[in-house]
Amino acid sequence: MHRTLVVDDSPTMRRMVMASLREVCSGGFAEAASGLEACEQLALGPVSLMVLDLNMPDMHGLEVLAFVRRHPTLKTLPVIVLTTRGDAESRTAALGAGASVYMTKPFTPQALAAQVRELVAQP
Amino acid sequence: MSDETFAAGFMDDYFAECDEHLAAIRRLLLELGGAAASAGPAPRAAVDELFRSFHSLKGISGMVGLREAEALAHHLESFLRPLRDGGRALTDEGLDALVAGVDALEHVIASRRDQRAAPPIDAVVARLERASPTAAPVEAPAASAPPAPQWRITFAPSPALLARGVNVDTVRARLRDAGVILDAAPQIHGGSIAFEFAFAGALDEPTIALWREDGLRVEAAPEPLAADAASTLPAAEMATPVGPSHVVRVDLTRLDDLMRMIGELVITRARLDASLGRVEGHVPAAEWRAVQENTQVMERQLRDLREGVMRVRLVPVGEILRRVPFVVRDLTRDSGTRVRLELRGQDTEIDKFLIERMMDPVLHLVRNAVSHALETVDERVAAGKPPEGTLTLAASSIGDTVVLEIADDGRGIDEAAVVARARAMGLEVPDPPLDRGRLLELICAPGFSTRTDTDRASGRGVGMAVVKTTVEDLNGRMSLETTAGEGTRFVIELPLTLAITDALIAQVGDRTFAVPQAVVREVIELDPAALRRLERHEVAPFRGGTLPVLRLGEVFSVTPRPGRALHAFVVGAGADAIAVAVDRIVGQREIVVRSLDDALIQVPGVAGATDLGDGRAVLILDLPALARHRAASLRRSMEAAS
Repeated sequence: MHRTLVVDDSPTMRRMVMASLREVCSGGFAEAASGLEACEQLALGPVSLMVLDLNMPDMHGLEVLAFVRRHPTLKTLPVIVLTTRGDAESRTAALGAGASVYMTKPFTPQALAAQVRELVAQP
Repeated sequence: MSDETFAAGFMDDYFAECDEHLAAIRRLLLELGGAAASAGPAPRAAVDELFRSFHSLKGISGMVGLREAEALAHHLESFLRPLRDGGRALTDEGLDALVAGVDALEHVIASRRDQRAAPPIDAVVARLERASPTAAPVEAPAASAPPAPQWRITFAPSPALLARGVNVDTVRARLRDAGVILDAAPQIHGGSIAFEFAFAGALDEPTIALWREDGLRVEAAPEPLAADAASTLPAAEMATPVGPSHVVRVDLTRLDDLMRMIGELVITRARLDASLGRVEGHVPAAEWRAVQENTQVMERQLRDLREGVMRVRLVPVGEILRRVPFVVRDLTRDSGTRVRLELRGQDTEIDKFLIERMMDPVLHLVRNAVSHALETVDERVAAGKPPEGTLTLAASSIGDTVVLEIADDGRGIDEAAVVARARAMGLEVPDPPLDRGRLLELICAPGFSTRTDTDRASGRGVGMAVVKTTVEDLNGRMSLETTAGEGTRFVIELPLTLAITDALIAQVGDRTFAVPQAVVREVIELDPAALRRLERHEVAPFRGGTLPVLRLGEVFSVTPRPGRALHAFVVGAGADAIAVAVDRIVGQREIVVRSLDDALIQVPGVAGATDLGDGRAVLILDLPALARHRAASLRRSMEAAS
């Protein structure tokens, strides 16, 4: 397994996500605090999974997702959209833009890890 | 693992991130306040950033289970939505509700930090809902057309460039310094990813050459630039600062541990020096020089290491000052005063611990200035002063000392009233005019107040007595200047850090003492024959005046060595200056301050102990405390004599 890319503008949230996935994601983590940083990480090395926040500075998560799905090899990358609850319209938008899984914050570490296990186990 | 234990592991991160957001929110609210005052539309970039901060606070508060903070952040976010999406203007009432909401949010977070129950939030939430901006959208002033792009700059990230510090954030910062980024978007070229920036700005040949060297492709923009609306970002969003991804948060106690370890290293090195001194005669001279050079290099490196760790603890003093405009706004709202606030030196850096301790004292001085010192508009006009009062807060650093100044151009301190009040409290006070040190001492006396009514600013936590104690606890100094009708200035001087410091080593009889160098104004030589006695005290002639002399030997009951001259440290300024006499000054050393926590050995005038490397414990003197103690007693004798 390659790295897991955790994209969120909150460093606390990124650490919570990584702590939840430490045992599931064996390839280590890469972090990005904005949409542009996320794209940069995708350019810098192979990634096996992306956990993506939506409301971020300078490039919305949905734009990152659309970009990934346009890319010849990244288009199959498993992406978990992890956004703050209450943004009702974004579930449809995220799934429409190609999110593999849509989850809301606050999340429990168990639920997130379970989703990832399921995604990674898929052929 | 339960959710509580999961969250518990992140509380430090949570509070640190909350602090960052709250500081940013205060700054942004000020910007919005300016726009509200001019009745213009709220600045889009500020609203966006504010919105994102509330959004992040909502997210992380939910994760740590702080429901009240999550709810408040949610309501604050909802409040902003019409401003963001509808271009509505922010009313004064709306701004007040927003400020109240942020205050409540801060209290809720603080209550969790102090492990108290969260305060109720219903009233604030209702207020936010009432004040929600619903008025018709404001006509936005015609936006000036964005400049035409002149360049297309392409950056393809790579591990090699990353290793040289060239990444999307540094490239963006570089472009922003040189001009305006009109658009930034990732592009796919074959299978690889590159960023394309549409950029306007004057670039000279050397800059272009430098950028190319760093892997950027710089080309003239094609005319006209393809306006691919779907894949472009609005320019305003590009103005947000670089994300905090290169910032590491560290628990203060870990830094304290590091500082303690460095302290141990400093002592070990001093021991090494002492042992080397003993073997000096037994080693060939050439070898000896090499050893000597190495220990000197090590000393310098240790000093660099210590300064490096110290710098990590420093934060800009602007963090305290940022709250001041809100306090002032709050106090002046119905008071008939108008205050212009001048903040200077906000970038001055100060130890995080000191900042936290100084927050309340500084705010207290500000409240005093606004509610007692500055006159109402009518009073000022009648006195021939500009209608608007000026309150100045300035921070600066001089060597190892940080200086905070809080000054107003108000009515000045009424000496007669202070004296009358002090006498009513049973204090012995000479007739005015008083010297400023004495006046400051009186207004800082516990329970002192010239006001009999309870006004808005009173009962808010700390009084002048607490201000003074806090400053002294931090080994700082406070002084006062005041002129009737012209204004008052408080100056607070604080040492930058407390753990390791440069000290002068002095001897009295067979005893050795260390004196932190930052408090010593001057080192002088005294002729014992020129000393005069005044009551129980000695004074020495000094620069045309006299200086009270305190013999350290007397304080610690040590018999001094007979000698012709005395050496003395001059401590304090103006009327508070005093000379502390010792037998001789041995030299200057870097010392590690160990506080004496045992209540049985809490002695006034002793700041702690240190080990100079020979295994003996040496007392570190708190000369300002000794001087204050002595000055008070001397003043009593002089007042009794006159």
